[in-house]
Amino acid sequence: MRRSLHRRLGAWAADRFGWRPVREHVLERRVAKSPWYFGDGATMLALLGVLVVTGLGMMLTYSPHPDAAYSSIRYITERQPMGWFVRGLHYWSAGLLMFMTVWHVLRQILIAGYKFPREGTWLVGTAMLVVIVTMAFTGYLLRWDERAIHAVRVALHILGGVPWIGEALVVLVQGDEQPGARLLTRLFAIHVALLPLLLGALVAWHIYLVILHGVTSHGERKKLTHTAEQQKQRYKADAHDEEKGETFYPDTMAQSGAMAGIVLAIAVVLVVVRGPAALMPEANLTETSFPAEEWWWWWFSALVALLPPAVAPTFLVLFPLVVLIGMCLLPLVDRGPERGYRKRPLALGFVVLTVVLLVGLSGLRLRSPWTGWPVGEPPALPPDVMLAPEAETGRLLFARHGCTSCHSVAGAGGRTVAVDLAEMEAPRSRQYLDDYIRRPPPGVAMPAYEGWATEEEIQRLVDYVLVAQMFRTHR
Amino acid sequence: MERRDFLATAVITGGTVATAAVLGPVAWTALSPAWSDRRRGVWADVGTLEEFEIGKVTHAVVEVPRDDWAASLRRRGVFVWRQSEGNVTVFARSCTDLGCPVTWDPGNGWFFCPCHGGIFDRDGEPQRGPPKRPLHRYAHRVEAGRLMIDLDSIPPQAG
Ligand code: FES
Repeated sequence: MRRSLHRRLGAWAADRFGWRPVREHVLERRVAKSPWYFGDGATMLALLGVLVVTGLGMMLTYSPHPDAAYSSIRYITERQPMGWFVRGLHYWSAGLLMFMTVWHVLRQILIAGYKFPREGTWLVGTAMLVVIVTMAFTGYLLRWDERAIHAVRVALHILGGVPWIGEALVVLVQGDEQPGARLLTRLFAIHVALLPLLLGALVAWHIYLVILHGVTSHGERKKLTHTAEQQKQRYKADAHDEEKGETFYPDTMAQSGAMAGIVLAIAVVLVVVRGPAALMPEANLTETSFPAEEWWWWWFSALVALLPPAVAPTFLVLFPLVVLIGMCLLPLVDRGPERGYRKRPLALGFVVLTVVLLVGLSGLRLRSPWTGWPVGEPPALPPDVMLAPEAETGRLLFARHGCTSCHSVAGAGGRTVAVDLAEMEAPRSRQYLDDYIRRPPPGVAMPAYEGWATEEEIQRLVDYVLVAQMFRTHR
Repeated sequence: MERRDFLATAVITGGTVATAAVLGPVAWTALSPAWSDRRRGVWADVGTLEEFEIGKVTHAVVEVPRDDWAASLRRRGVFVWRQSEGNVTVFARSCTDLGCPVTWDPGNGWFFCPCHGGIFDRDGEPQRGPPKRPLHRYAHRVEAGRLMIDLDSIPPQAG
């Protein structure tokens, strides 16, 4: 009697609240089996969820006015209980989302996820990519520290380079002729309302299409189909097959959920170990500062720095456009039946090349902390010179800490951005060099190495420069 | 016309008009900064001319004379180069490559950009690295011994 009441209540609720169709068409639907790493989509969804919740948490305190923004972030981080954790989780989830986005796109290219009948899924995904990247950028501008203000100004400079309408675009984003209150308000509105609403709609659409057309499965690579209709039949057959198919809940969800869980755990570990992004001094247009970008832009910075100056301005405007147009055209151009990467060397080559470039460029950037223009080699020694082991260590550090990005030594190695160390006005004492490397005098473009390099490393650098200043320049 | 066709046309037209009536004004006001409000000229006081030593480049901070403005950005750094008694140039801090703030190194007599190693000489002419255009110069005038600059006389992203 009780049991049947329970059942009847359940059935009533399922009918009146409308979740029966959801259960049938979403949870209990048959899908083609796929390996665990297909869970990257679910992982991104989980990260987005974390971003929404942590973002809402911070919005309760954050103040989007330039006079208060920075101190409200400080307050969240330093005073508000668990504030540092929430901010940290927001930051690291955003970074991981950027990472997973690249992963997801490259994986779809590898397994032809954009081919019929899933062109729409891919195009909606492309729109999501644009929104996610913009979110990742506008997010750290809200910190309103030196890094934020310079990041937005670099972006505005790139915008300003758009032919004819550049200046109007800048004023449009800034909301005014001068950077000020309206700029931050606009960034805030874009980051917390405009784009999230848009992204929410796109995510729902993307998932709807995934439910409708399924995702690429292993079976599809072996038995080729030539039309969208054939492909849909093939997918349906696989999904309902005992061997090749499974039920979405709980089989598929367990797997993709596991991946999402692992990535979320990584985010939490990162928050605990590294904490939220460090706050630089408050945004200003007066102090000497050394802008740096978030790590997910490292590759881009290195790329910008390595471009020949002649093509750089055009490239900056064209590059995002080319990526976008390329992604939109891809499903319309590549319509062959092959889906496996073994038979699609172009796709495989493209993905491998992209990964190599992303990792390689980020590595270059990492080795050159102060400029995106690294010179990795330590300056060569003049003939017949043998250094003491301490000074030799210093010579290697000289390249590792990016000194070579600005200084050459007796004409060797680096670029001549700053003074050649063998051509200083007069030989400097140990104390002088030590002080200078630690804290260059105000107004000098060199960064302070105190706190950046270890005590030991500073000593070795001094050992090297002390000797190197005596080298003679051979020209 | 069939009743169905008529209704379909009515729904589509009505929907479009209603959407336009709301979206239009919103889009207009949101985009308006791009064409209204431009280039009014905002003159800011840099200081008395005497403060700037002849033959030197000095970093000066000006107050943006707008009270509707956020305090954190109401101050702005500029470089004043006083070539001679009556001859002054005021440079913006933004590198003409991508806008990073340049610094003046009196030792080398150069402006350095920390981002991609751009260098400008004391005339603001690009010497090394990516920048191709000279540093932006503010329009200036001297009024009763005080140096004034027009903050709107450089591109909007370069302030
Ligand atoms: S921003 Fe100055 S050199 Fe690139």
